[in-house]
Amino acid sequence: MAFKLVLDGTLHEIDIVRRRPHLVVRIDGCEHEVSVTGSYDDGRQAIEIAGSAVHFARAHAADRLLLRLDGRSFEAKLLDPRSEETGGGQDSVRAPMPGAVVTVHKAVGDQVSRGEPLITIESMKLQTALPAPRDGVIAAILRSEGEVFDKDEIIVRLEDMAQES
Amino acid sequence: MSSSHATNPPAAATSIPFKRILVANRGEIACRVFRTLNALGIASVAIHHRVEARAKHVRMADQAVEISGETPVAAHLDGRQIIEAALATGADAIHPGYGFLSENAGFAKAVVAAGLTFIGPDAATIALMGDKISARNFAAARGVPVAPSVMPTQDIDAFARDAAAIGFPLLIKAAAGGGGKGMSIVRSASELTQAARLAASEAQRYFGDGRVYAETYVERPRHIEVQVLGDGQGNAIHLFERECSVQRRFQKIIEEAPAANLAPELREAICAAAVRLVAAAKYRNAGTVEFILGADGRFFFLEMNTRLQVEHPVTEMITGLDLVRAQIEIAAGHGLPMAQGAVAQHGHAIECRICAEDPAREFLPETGAVRYLGVPEAEYLRFENALDPGQKITTDFDPMLAKLVVHGPNRDAAIARSIAALKELALLGVTTNIDYLARVLGHPAFRAGDLHTGFVAEHREALVIDQPTPDVLHQALIAAALGFREFHDLAFSVPEPHASIGQWRN
Repeated sequence: MAFKLVLDGTLHEIDIVRRRPHLVVRIDGCEHEVSVTGSYDDGRQAIEIAGSAVHFARAHAADRLLLRLDGRSFEAKLLDPRSEETGGGQDSVRAPMPGAVVTVHKAVGDQVSRGEPLITIESMKLQTALPAPRDGVIAAILRSEGEVFDKDEIIVRLEDMAQES
Repeated sequence: MSSSHATNPPAAATSIPFKRILVANRGEIACRVFRTLNALGIASVAIHHRVEARAKHVRMADQAVEISGETPVAAHLDGRQIIEAALATGADAIHPGYGFLSENAGFAKAVVAAGLTFIGPDAATIALMGDKISARNFAAARGVPVAPSVMPTQDIDAFARDAAAIGFPLLIKAAAGGGGKGMSIVRSASELTQAARLAASEAQRYFGDGRVYAETYVERPRHIEVQVLGDGQGNAIHLFERECSVQRRFQKIIEEAPAANLAPELREAICAAAVRLVAAAKYRNAGTVEFILGADGRFFFLEMNTRLQVEHPVTEMITGLDLVRAQIEIAAGHGLPMAQGAVAQHGHAIECRICAEDPAREFLPETGAVRYLGVPEAEYLRFENALDPGQKITTDFDPMLAKLVVHGPNRDAAIARSIAALKELALLGVTTNIDYLARVLGHPAFRAGDLHTGFVAEHREALVIDQPTPDVLHQALIAAALGFREFHDLAFSVPEPHASIGQWRN
């Protein structure tokens, strides 16, 4: 089975091909043997891929992973394997928990910026604003004020990147 | 590390009359000043707003006093509370750092009135240099070049005559103007009258005021500034120049000393002009005289900053002097650390300002938290910061998080070391300009020293961060995957019989 990783907004799949004697993974059809796998902890790490050392720094931040590798910064997120996402997890806003819609801040067709609150929900007496996952245009708002929803339900959809010019 | 290169003569450190100094600042610059106080054996007092009670500068000081304000910045601008804190803790002097109250004449005056020493110039000098017009007039009267200009007039023929006497190119502006209306660049006398008439009619149409004025237009200007020290008695020295032409949003992001490709005579002329100004003002303290330098070699006084500058470490690195110590000794009446002829210059230094901002979004400030900080270490490198693990990065204060200052035997080496250090530097948890700075340093125009204040705009496309190669991308994906518990568990923790079956668990 493939893990779905969103790296800097782009969806990638990474497969575990073998575990013994060394871990072998497949990414975009390329197999890589990972002979030294480092530790799970935050901080500087060294792993070995195809016999070459790869140094990086890594930190956990809630459900995201932050990386510094080869003089670049990356942000990674692991998608729930049950997810149907295909657009890199960036085309829709899902409910992080079951609840009800308190306020809808935007309308279909609105241009929004990443991080802008789209909708305020209430779950377990806590109000939370759900932000836009990226810049884009709102394609659909699937729950209106007062309606309830389940965890992981899609609440807002953004237009496909491809449709925007 | 700041003091490791310091070669200030072993002046009368022991006889410095200050027992305790309050630093009216925060962040990296407060920490920077505390380091020198520690080295000199002077007790230190920090001030802080409630939101920064556990900040590094607070922990680093011998004592700390909380100050209040509607916002943290407002607290740091409340001179009365700060002077009270100094008196209450028995401090005998206040070091203002940069920003906040460092160039506030009223504060300097109040500090002295309270019987304390202000580690800076006297209030009158701050006021003189703080006003653009008075500073410009003062400079011009002492033979320091200021950009020639022709005063606003409606008499186009007289205007054209006076303007032609300045020389070309000229920038013609509406006296009441703004937004580029009525503005034009004139490159020869033959265009002048026509351009002036056009500008006057546009000015009349847009602003109801047909007066126009002209000033020398500096094309591709470089920002060159001179570090000076004055003893308050009319003696002054310079510690060479810095170049700060790489700017975004009108703020410097990369500074270096010395400036690249500056002809020795021109360099000498600029530094001498700065010393002339500072000596004439009987300036006391470290200070910076800023100039605009044109491609034709003409340079003009811009302004003088009467305080320690953000980018002072590059000067410390090439001269081996501790500027904070020099400030304290001057304030104590010990005079200048050395004569002009004794000021040495070694190699080249570059400072990169690490800011919480997104270069891909017009450098707008970013927020986050410090999830991991990995700093390269080398004897030629200073990482000036006050960051703590887990620290929230908010918009309460300036977006500058740290300064990476690197020395090399020459400019090429300093660039190479800076790029390597930026690549190694890991500041995870907030978007920063670290990678952008590395791209600027690596750009052929930067390497060639072909700098001007429009550098960031001119090379905009070339400075966009490129995509990683597939190899690097795959390495990043593997490194990331191994950091996710789900992946890690599946790859390693499954008992052997299951390991060969693999796949799903509940």
